[in-house]
Formats: sequence, structure tokens, C-alpha cells
Amino acid sequence: MRDLALIGFLCALFGFGFKRPFLFVLAYVYIDIVSPQRLCYYLLNSVPISLIAFLFAIGGWMAMDDKRDTRVAPRQVLLIMLLLWAGYTTYHADFPVEALGKWSWVWKALVFAIFLPLTLRTKLRFEALLLFMILCAASIIIVGGIKTAASGGGYGALNLMVDNNSGLYEGSIISTVAIAIIPIILWLMQHGTIFPPDWRVRLFGAALIFACVLIPVGTQARTGLICAGLLSLLMLRIVKKKVRYAVLLGLAGLVAVPLLPSSYTSRMQTIKGYQADESASTRLAVWKWTWEYVKEHPLGGGFEAYRQNKLRYHLVKTNAAGNVQSTETTAEYDAGRAFHSSYFEMLGEQGFPGLAMWLLLHFSGLLRMEIIRRRYRKAEGNDAWITPLATALQHAHMLYLVGGAFVGIAFQPFVYLLVGVQIGFDTYLKRRQREAAWRPLTERPTPQIQHA
Amino acid sequence: MIDTFSLALTHALMLIAAWRLFRRPDLDEDGAARTESRFVRRERPPRA
Repeated sequence: MRDLALIGFLCALFGFGFKRPFLFVLAYVYIDIVSPQRLCYYLLNSVPISLIAFLFAIGGWMAMDDKRDTRVAPRQVLLIMLLLWAGYTTYHADFPVEALGKWSWVWKALVFAIFLPLTLRTKLRFEALLLFMILCAASIIIVGGIKTAASGGGYGALNLMVDNNSGLYEGSIISTVAIAIIPIILWLMQHGTIFPPDWRVRLFGAALIFACVLIPVGTQARTGLICAGLLSLLMLRIVKKKVRYAVLLGLAGLVAVPLLPSSYTSRMQTIKGYQADESASTRLAVWKWTWEYVKEHPLGGGFEAYRQNKLRYHLVKTNAAGNVQSTETTAEYDAGRAFHSSYFEMLGEQGFPGLAMWLLLHFSGLLRMEIIRRRYRKAEGNDAWITPLATALQHAHMLYLVGGAFVGIAFQPFVYLLVGVQIGFDTYLKRRQREAAWRPLTERPTPQIQHA
Repeated sequence: MIDTFSLALTHALMLIAAWRLFRRPDLDEDGAARTESRFVRRERPPRA
């Protein structure tokens, strides 16, 4: 039954795409995030639907879409360079077979991020794309939210429909993404036109945000707690009544803490006592190993280079017996531990050149969004959506970059969709600016940029 | 049960969104008239 419903849904999306090719892009985004082929028992498993949607999206754009004034942004060039570099490191990888496995999905994420901005020519397309990204992520987040509310979840124990821990279905990744999309949900609740703001949108949005906040509790990923803390600070930049927000946040914290499962609070306390925690200690050891490794291999070891690491680290345990405290240090050994950080993942796999390109790509995105935020701060009417969208995209990106410090998600496709939206948004505004500048003076009622 | 609920809700919303997008001319051209869509409230003509 589920299989038939999912196939029917996909057929409808593809059907719409023949008249409106942008819906092929949405179909690809849907397949990329939700992976319906993994939710099915038969039929869809055997068809390469991701590839079909990819070809339709590009073919639809080439054959039917308006390509006047198509621009290539500097960050698209950077993405092309990163793609070529990743191809080079894959060719020379320390583990050629394993590296090819990761390359098989990384290239698709990068190519799509390069292509996506070309299709984002209207305001409605940004909204449509963001709405689809949120609803696709919501299909996983609502499951996690309800299961957490019902059972409390557990590290590695929360069942998110798919067992194989890939894509957004992995605990730490979904925790980071769930928190990172909250600013975008808030933007859609205020500025959406597909689902214009009314009580239903507010109710769904509020419930979804609540589910997003529950995800880090359910998955017990410490990264999620750090991201949630940063989000509560970032919100101070946009809320108008800051004191009221701070009081409400404090009250919500006071109410929420006693309700949290004890397994969650005890796991979160390991952030403080990281020396006694195996996961945190191996992380530090892997990062140290990566640094030593790139000193000898500055061009990186290609994808999956972490497989060669052999680690020796110390665990410090404090035992309390009555008033006497004793510390015990034990030496532990491990091998083949993953990077557990996007920054070290880039450094170890793609070397210094790859890390430099990756940092430039992401931090220049933050900067561009800040420039747009400031430029359109006082815009009203048709342009009132611009600054809030730039802020939402910037905050989502910041949350990813902070969460990514503790999870290896340097090439997570969902994030590259966000990067694609940012680039498209930037070029869209430049195009409008230029159109406004070309209009004869008599047609310009105010110096502010007008809706074309 | 929970899985089905979540999938049904989000897919229904995506289907409605796709249908509304399909009917909106401003998907392909900024500022194109949106009067074709029945989801957009039309302004009432002034009374005579």
C-alpha cells in the first residue's frame, strides 16, 4: 500500500513537471532527501529514480526553461573546483574502492548544487524549493518527534523508518539538520505564499518546530544540544521583544529540564567531563591523528582516508568513595575511527587545498547573506521578504557549520541544497538590481529596488 | 502507524503545494498575474 502511494505521488510530481519543468527539480530534491526507494519493499527499489529525476531536472531546464540572463556566480566556480579536486583525490585515494563509494554520491550533490541556482529565477521558486526541503525533512522529523515524545528515544535507538543510517536518517545528522531548518520554517510561516500564513500554517509550523527540538533529545546527540543553544542565541538577533523572549526561553528551559529523560541528561553531562567519555576522547585522538597525517600528506588521502588510523588515547575516570576521590587513567586503543568533524573530514580527505575551498565556499556564503541582510534591511512591500530570508539562510548555515564541527557532514547533500539556494538567491537579487538600474528614470517611482 | 501518519501528512502537503505551484504563473515569471489561481483571493469589484 505504501509502495503504491509513493509511486502515485512520484508519478504526480513527474506529471506536473512536463508542464512546469521546475517541478522536476522538486522531484529530485524529494528523492534525494526522503529516499522513497528505501521506504519501499518492492517496485521502486529496482528503478534508479534518483538518476531519472536528475536527468529530467537538467533536461527540463535545458529544453523548456527560460535561460535569458543566466549568470554563473563565483561560488558556483568554487563548487566546480571542489568537484574537480575531489575527483583528483579520489583518483589518488589511499583506499580507492571505498573512496569511489563516497564519490558516487558526493559528485551528485555537488553537481546539483552547481545546477540548482540556474533554475532559481523567481521568488516563488525559492519558496517552493525551501518548502519542499522542509516538508521532506519533516517526514523524518515528525516520526522522530512523536516517537521521542512517546518513548524518550535513546542514542542509536530511535527508529526513523530506515535502518541503514544513511542520508538524513542518521541520528547526529538529523539532529543538526532539524535545528538548522528552524529559521527557515519560521520564514515560511511568515512569508509563505503557497501556504499563506493562517492558523493552520501556524499550528503545523509550531508543531514541526517542537518536533525539531525533540529530535536531539530523541537521538541523544550532543551536537544537537550545542546547535539548539546557538539557535536560542541567534534568535536574539531577529526577535523584536528581546527581554520577553529571554524570559520565555528561561521559563521553557526550567519546565523542560525536569521532563527530559535521565539517560539524556547524563549523556549531555559528558560534554563537561569529556575526558572520561570514550566517544569524545577518540574524537580528539582522531583529530590529532588527522593533523599529523596531513603534515605528511598535505593533499589529503582521498575519501575514507580515516580507515588507516590507529589510535592510542587515555581515559581519565574519577571514582568517588565517600569523601575520597581517586582518578584512574587507562590507555585505550582503537583503529579506523571516522573523523567526527566536517573540518577534519575535509582536511584528512581533501588536504589543505580542499579544506581551503570548502571554508571559502561556506564562510563566503555567510558573508554574502550578511551583505544582503544589511542592504535590504529597510525594504518594505514587495521586498520585505528579502532580509528575513537572508537571515534565515545565514542562521541555518551557521548552525550547520557549528554542528558540523562534531559530525562528519562536509558533503551532506541537504546542506548543498541550502548552498544552492543561497547562490540562486544572491544572483536573483543581482539580476533584479540590474534590471531596476536599466529601467528609464521616469519609470522609477522610488530609488528602492522594485518588483520586476 | 506513526511512520504512516508522518508520511501521509507530509506527502499530502507536498502534493497540495505541487498542485498550487502548477497553477501559478509566477512560478516561471516573476510578477506574472496570479489571477488564474483559485487559491488567491480576488479583490471584489467596487459596488455600483
